[in-house]
Amino acid sequence: MKHILKILGLLVTVSAIWIGLLQASIVSSSYAWLLPVYLIVLLGCYGLFMVGVGLMFFPTCPQESHLLQKDIAEAKDFLKRKGIDVNSD
Amino acid sequence: MELADKAVGFLLTTISLSIFSYYTFWVLILPFVDSDHFIHMYFLSREYAIIIPLFAGITLLCFLSMFIGYVMLKSKKKSA
Repeated sequence: MKHILKILGLLVTVSAIWIGLLQASIVSSSYAWLLPVYLIVLLGCYGLFMVGVGLMFFPTCPQESHLLQKDIAEAKDFLKRKGIDVNSD
Repeated sequence: MELADKAVGFLLTTISLSIFSYYTFWVLILPFVDSDHFIHMYFLSREYAIIIPLFAGITLLCFLSMFIGYVMLKSKKKSA
């Protein structure tokens, strides 16, 4: 519930700033009308950018992967010896 | 396998950066440029700056709802 209130508060603040900009005419009127669309496009761009950067710099840990495969083989061997069938199909 | 991931990540980053710079230039900087500068040839008229993101957003919403509906129908058919 608190999270929703936080997001709603942020939205109300942003819209108040936008309406204030429209009224006070600090920037020209056409700019103030385009600002929400620009902010949404910016948000989408930022999300895409974070996804791309995360994909590029994702650590794969090859040593841990190798150890994990060894653990899996060892566990399968142990269970097969005890008589349980663990071939996942 | 990691190279494919890195390539996709790099592609996404370049796409996002190019969209950001083009859109910023279009909306924020172009109104201050003289109307007979050559750079105006590379940008569409400014109404499109609203229509294109709106259209893309509506397309995204349609695609998302179609996908959710399809997944819900498939799961209902499997459990019935």
